[in-house]
Amino acid sequence: MNRFVAVLTFSGVFLIVAMLSQSVRAQEFLPESQVNQIRQNCVRAQSVLNQLHATDALLRTNRGQIYELISTKLMAPLNSRIALNRLGGLKLAASTLEYDKQLTAFRSSYQQYEESMSETLEINCKEQPLFFYDSVKTTREKRQKLHEDADQLSELLRVYKNDFEDFAKENSKDTK
Amino acid sequence: MTEEELAIEAKGLSTWEQHKFMVLVGATILTALILVVISLHLYKSSGAAQLDLSRPGYESVREQASHTNDYNGYSSTGPLDKDALDSFRKLYDEQLKQATALDSFGGDVMSDTALGIDAPAPAQ
Repeated sequence: MNRFVAVLTFSGVFLIVAMLSQSVRAQEFLPESQVNQIRQNCVRAQSVLNQLHATDALLRTNRGQIYELISTKLMAPLNSRIALNRLGGLKLAASTLEYDKQLTAFRSSYQQYEESMSETLEINCKEQPLFFYDSVKTTREKRQKLHEDADQLSELLRVYKNDFEDFAKENSKDTK
Repeated sequence: MTEEELAIEAKGLSTWEQHKFMVLVGATILTALILVVISLHLYKSSGAAQLDLSRPGYESVREQASHTNDYNGYSSTGPLDKDALDSFRKLYDEQLKQATALDSFGGDVMSDTALGIDAPAPAQ
């Protein structure tokens, strides 16, 4: 029992020190005027973030459906049809694999971004302006990563399109 | 059996036998709670929670979600002649246009200035 209490106490002290050290770290970089600014504009910031949270969720849903549809109802059937007709199409298959990998990365990025955003929205920026600022910074970085992943997906869609056109050109030569 | 016989028989039961029914009820509730915890964990960890527009806070955008259930896509069987390739090209170009129409998750919407949490300009 004594050992259990000792472990619990030590863990609690460690957590408190870790939290305090975070606030000290943020405080080193934020002037007092900015901290006051965060407190004053707390409601406005949270309102903007709430709206962004909702619109990003909608964008993820709609855009995600298109990405999935392209993979499952266009790329996969075409690759299958190419294989059934014994026409090769290895480049298209490779592009599809690359696209599916990137789609998985995109899903993971969004999940991390959304979790970070939800945590940010739960912080009371009037009482904890420093934590709020740090959390916004982290969420912003995750949103940027998500943006890069989305851009990469768009690029891979164009690559697939080019590979398809190359395949169509080769195939039309073969059938002549 | 008479009541007296039942009372005598009940006295002869062990504590476990006397409380079997309550243990069953307790175990059922505990099992249900464990399954709920597992379900919630799967709901969050699988990414479904992030896509669930029925959650609170998403009322304003719920109606705008698109539905693609009736999209037939491209057939996975059949010849790959010119018509088939043209058909795929048309379907793919439609979706490519939609997928690349907007700059997804870009912009400065989360900048310090946009949120009003940047350092105020020094008084001159």
